[in-house]
Amino acid sequence: MLLYNLRLAWKSVLRHPALSGLIVAGIALGVAVSTSFVTIWHVLAADPIPGKSDRLYYVRVNAWGAPEPYDEEGNPPDLLTWQDMRRLLGASDIPVRQTATFKALAYVRPQERGQRPFQESLRLTTADFFPMFQAPFRYGSGWDRAADAKPEAVAVIGSDLNERLFGGRDSVGSTLRLNDRDFKIVGVLAPWRPKVRHYDLEGNPYEEPEQVFLPLTHFPAMSMELSGTRNSWRVEPGGMLETLGSSEMTWVQMWVELGSPADERAYHSFLDNYAREQKKLGRFPQAINNRLSTVLELMEEWQVVPRQAKALAAISALFLVIAALNLIGLFLGKFLARSSVVGVRRALGASRGAIFAQHLVECEVVALIGGVLGLLLSLGVLALVNRMYQPAGVEETFFELDPPMMLAALGFALLAGAIAGVYPSWRICAIAPAHHLKNQ
Amino acid sequence: MLEMHNVTKIYRTGLVETRALRDFTLTVDSGEFVTITGPSGSGKTTFLNVAGLLDGFEQGIYKLDGVDVSRLTDRQMSRIRNEKIGFIFQSFNLIPDLDVADNVDVPLRYRGLSAKDRKERIERAVGMVGLTSRLRHLPSQLSGGQQQRVAIARVLAGDPKLILADEPTGNLDSGMAREIMELLEQINEAGTSIIMVTHNPEHAARAHRQLHIADGRIVDMERIAPMPLNRIVAHPSAARA
Repeated sequence: MLLYNLRLAWKSVLRHPALSGLIVAGIALGVAVSTSFVTIWHVLAADPIPGKSDRLYYVRVNAWGAPEPYDEEGNPPDLLTWQDMRRLLGASDIPVRQTATFKALAYVRPQERGQRPFQESLRLTTADFFPMFQAPFRYGSGWDRAADAKPEAVAVIGSDLNERLFGGRDSVGSTLRLNDRDFKIVGVLAPWRPKVRHYDLEGNPYEEPEQVFLPLTHFPAMSMELSGTRNSWRVEPGGMLETLGSSEMTWVQMWVELGSPADERAYHSFLDNYAREQKKLGRFPQAINNRLSTVLELMEEWQVVPRQAKALAAISALFLVIAALNLIGLFLGKFLARSSVVGVRRALGASRGAIFAQHLVECEVVALIGGVLGLLLSLGVLALVNRMYQPAGVEETFFELDPPMMLAALGFALLAGAIAGVYPSWRICAIAPAHHLKNQ
Repeated sequence: MLEMHNVTKIYRTGLVETRALRDFTLTVDSGEFVTITGPSGSGKTTFLNVAGLLDGFEQGIYKLDGVDVSRLTDRQMSRIRNEKIGFIFQSFNLIPDLDVADNVDVPLRYRGLSAKDRKERIERAVGMVGLTSRLRHLPSQLSGGQQQRVAIARVLAGDPKLILADEPTGNLDSGMAREIMELLEQINEAGTSIIMVTHNPEHAARAHRQLHIADGRIVDMERIAPMPLNRIVAHPSAARA
């Protein structure tokens, strides 16, 4: 019967092209708007590292030494000091993996003649960074933990830099000269573009990953400029590198990968014990307030997804509902206009349910046509949004319709069809058949 | 086939009540051909609507083929309409979007028959009314008489026990009306009960029994011809077999 109803629906669409077109346009508009804005929200709020985001924890300890709290909400500082990071990293064997990371700038000096030095963003980190954040390798691999300890002069480079310096060939074993030091390339990343830079949600989390990764233990010995956020509760005495081991400047991010909720509790206790030790040493004057946050929790807390995006998605969904409600009258008028045909069908044995199903199928067919059109329109809207509001630092298309969103768009259309169609379908089937026939 | 006892049908419009049928009592036997005449507003169409389960009634008892229909659900009544009753209307009531075959197919769809069974029934019914060559024509491409024959084919395909015809010749010229009456008589001769509302005295006189309705009641009943004994109990399908 469904195929029969689909055939009847199609005939009805063709019989009233203007009216059908009007309804299709209404639904297409609603679907286009809702799909576009929900896609924006969906892209921004999507789990950036699915399957693992609930095991990666961002580490914060309350090292804030001022009498007043770090912020009004009572949160611990967003970042760690170098000294705390050095004491915490590797001090516990509870995490499966652990890493610290921060951004800096340095000059790349190409080996090829004729190529000029250029400034490049670096990420200083540890060996565990790559498996923790699932960085994909094209050639070679990350360095091992021993390279962190020494530190060894090794580097991992991104695919863009590999293309620029080595023409895209396997450059593992080649030398990368940064400022005045040489590093042996041990790995080349495959093109890697998480929509949200999940390993560093500070600053602009939509930036592309850096092109050079070095063991962070090189930092004290290298002259490089930090490029991330820095905060301190006091005026630091002396230069950064000279006071690195005692500085209260916070600028390092630390992540741990924990295998279970029990591990989370255990690691939290470990952090609290560390804070108690520091208190004995005269640091950490405020109440113990350490924090372990998963990737998604941190995204929520730091409002990585702008509130406007969520609000717009909700408003656009409301727009779809309003568009659908406005179509009720059109469907009702269309159905009542052929009341006599309904009467004939009822006389010939169609039950109320059969008439309801026939008309609802018609609404859904029209809605699906509108949905497909709306999907195409939303591609245009997203292209416009990409052109106008692409996040800074993003070169490729940022807001894209993925298959789940395409299915969602068709779902929106079916929902709109149901909202617009249920009442008219019920109304037409509820009328006594004799009444329909009398209306001829 | 049809038994109505003291059936009352009331239409209410605001505070106004109109008794369209008043203590209406009628029995129609299997295989009988009954015509109903009466002035406009006398309750003829209301009777057909109630008899055809297209409209309810307030009081009385109505049994169709031995089944008390007063407490049936919509689904049950729809099933009875689909399987036991055939309707023929004055304005043919073909569905304009559908061609002849698809129009005849409508009741068969709601019966849930297989595609093969439906096809056989459609071809046989359309053949019986002589329109095999017009299977893919739309109603708008047919004359009035042809459209009514399609409506009759739609009834024949469903193989009902009772046909309710509301002025089936009302929109036709005399020649076509005669053809339709002959077709109805053939169907009746095959054993199907027919109740036909008509304004044409000549057509009314061709039935076994002629009723005259006024003010929602039967005011006159005339048996014109005895019904052949072999059709009193026989069902159409049995008669055709």
